[in-house]
Amino acid sequence: MRGRRLFFFTALLFLAVVVLIFAMATGAVDIPFKTVLAVLLNRLFSIPAANTDPTMEVIIAQIRLPRVILGFFVGASLAVAGVAFQGLLQNPLADPYTIGVSSGAALGATASMLLLPAAGIGSFYAVPLFGFAGALIALFTVYQLGRVGGRLPVVTVLLAGVVISSFFSALISLSMIAAGEQMRNIFFWLVGGLGFKGWPYVTLISLCFSPGLALLLYKSRDLNLILLGEEEALSLGVEVERTKKIVLVAASLVTAGAVSISGMIGFVGLIVPHAVRILIGPDHRFLFPASVLGGGIFLTITDTFARSVLAPVELPVGIVTAFLGAPFFIFLLRRHREKYRF
Amino acid sequence: MTAGDLMGLKMIVNGLSFSYGSALVLEGVALTIAEGDFVGIIGPNGSGKSTLLKILAALLKPAQGSVILDGRELRRWSRLDLARRIALVAQERGAGFNFLVEEVVAMGRYPYQGRFSAMGEADRRAVERAMHLTGCYQLRERELFSLSGGERQRVILARALAQETPCLLLDEPTSFLDIGYQVELLELLQSLNNREKLTVVMVMHDLNLASRYCRKLFLLHQGKIHACGDPAGVLNRENILAVYRTEVLIEPHPLGGSPQVIPISAKNLPGKTAYSGPVHLIGGGGSATPVMNELFIKGFPLSAGVLSAGDSDWAAARRLGLSMVEEAPFSPIREDRHRDNLGLIERSSAVVLAPLFVGPGNLLNVEAAGHALKQGLPVFVIDEPSIAARDFTGGRASLLYAELKEKGAVFVSRLDLLQLMKRDNGDGAILSHS
Repeated sequence: MRGRRLFFFTALLFLAVVVLIFAMATGAVDIPFKTVLAVLLNRLFSIPAANTDPTMEVIIAQIRLPRVILGFFVGASLAVAGVAFQGLLQNPLADPYTIGVSSGAALGATASMLLLPAAGIGSFYAVPLFGFAGALIALFTVYQLGRVGGRLPVVTVLLAGVVISSFFSALISLSMIAAGEQMRNIFFWLVGGLGFKGWPYVTLISLCFSPGLALLLYKSRDLNLILLGEEEALSLGVEVERTKKIVLVAASLVTAGAVSISGMIGFVGLIVPHAVRILIGPDHRFLFPASVLGGGIFLTITDTFARSVLAPVELPVGIVTAFLGAPFFIFLLRRHREKYRF
Repeated sequence: MTAGDLMGLKMIVNGLSFSYGSALVLEGVALTIAEGDFVGIIGPNGSGKSTLLKILAALLKPAQGSVILDGRELRRWSRLDLARRIALVAQERGAGFNFLVEEVVAMGRYPYQGRFSAMGEADRRAVERAMHLTGCYQLRERELFSLSGGERQRVILARALAQETPCLLLDEPTSFLDIGYQVELLELLQSLNNREKLTVVMVMHDLNLASRYCRKLFLLHQGKIHACGDPAGVLNRENILAVYRTEVLIEPHPLGGSPQVIPISAKNLPGKTAYSGPVHLIGGGGSATPVMNELFIKGFPLSAGVLSAGDSDWAAARRLGLSMVEEAPFSPIREDRHRDNLGLIERSSAVVLAPLFVGPGNLLNVEAAGHALKQGLPVFVIDEPSIAARDFTGGRASLLYAELKEKGAVFVSRLDLLQLMKRDNGDGAILSHS
């Protein structure tokens, strides 16, 4: 197992680098790999780049690089949150959407587009900030609804999440009907996309992602033990309830960051954790880092596809993830179904 | 090392009460568990035994009363310190089934490891030892879900052993295991208890296994300790009847002699049949045992006499707790015993004469059946093999049998007798004084 884990981890790391460079080279304007590498090396390590086209340099540094990194972060966030929710709720169907946090973020973002039409999509911060607030409101509500006498039983949290999720989705639909002109904007935001977002968004998402991931890594061993039975985890010295709360909050933070920036991108949080689990096993100490890579790779590929397949028209990446994700998942499931256990 | 000082474990429970909502589950429970004990907590469903174990494991906090471990109240222990004293094999299982066996067992080292530190030498040794002890070393590369229920239970036990605690709590550890694994698991616990003074406290459903392996039993009934002590003292008919509302036989285990509980019937308790008085059995030498057992199971109140102390009918009657008249072994029936026997007959509603061997010493027993006929009681004579083959009195017994038949005794086979009595259970026609 140790050898297998190391192999897949190295492979994922390698793949991530290749995919990132490939993504930066691909788009409405194709850029040679050599140029991409030269610009990157120049930016990262100040290695002088010989005779590169300044337009290319701008495209890479100001448009493609932030977009690709943002995509990688969003994918990583959704995958990591998926791992956390599936582990926490001991349910293979759980993903960042089950718990209602992403619906909260979406409702917040929708509200900001409705209430602040002047700012609208144009404002960098209004949508994500509102989205983040919505995510927190959803989390707080689920937390309060799901809590039974100071404990967080898996079943009640799951139920509360599903209820809040449906309720908020209904509110979103309602506000879309009321939105009039803004409806199209809201719709495009909801189906998920990474277009027209520069470096500030990268900063924003890393502010959610980094502490969230750190907390999850810190609690990964405890999560393993809880997965084998809460009572025995307690008797092994794990602070079960505190761990569950920390994991819930951390995963929600990571989700809120991703959803409030990129909208509802489905499937990543569901299938990447499963795929990674098949590759490297169920140990969360390895599952979280590997999901960072797996989610990042998956969304980078799908986003590159989304913006280049019908260029210059961009497809919403959420549609592409579902399109590519569903068959991929079915393939995985069929190949591993007799071996596959959560 | 001075094992006593370092390992000495003592758990004192006092005045413990607990309720789920408004339902009182435990009330005023007090017990002591000392190092090296092998304790079974038994009791019917809902008697609070699992709750008690969960309180001992600090999974639940008692509403009232205290649990004191090594001189300190349980709730004042930190989780990690406690995890180095007490390990738990719970019933509930999580969903994490594709961990490898080795990974699962290694989780038992949690209380000794830093958050990000790798396994040290001591950890590795403890894990390997636990896997060897439980026989799951060969399984270490397998995934948990691919194992059978018995293997899985062994892995969980291995994890608890890797925790290296002086005390192990188990919640119905044998409930999903077949009989082979049950014995294997309990013998492993027994040997750990013997060799390493591992204190074992387990909730058990199976009274016979509990009786065989535990040295001390706590019998819970409606949240209170109904009886406690060694298995022989706790597992008796009265306690089982009071707590489980079931009539049982208690038999010593053929090897080792621990009391074994054999359920008879929950419904046909004595005193619930249509008959007012008991059925009196006349037998000896094992001739009455089959009919005695069968009538007892059917719920007939029984009496017996005159039986020689030590013979197998006498043993059977004693085991069933019948009122009986007994005579010293190998002695002829004395006149006073005969009279006592007639006394029992007069208090009965029917008499069954079993196919006993008749010699000069017990001829009075056949005469007693004649007395019953005179009293107007129905007398059933089981005459197979026929009296001719059983008569060692030079024909006197055969004459008495002929006389019985003439005066209205019913000669039946044993099976027919049971049929007759069962059919009669409703109206009592045959057994009525007629």
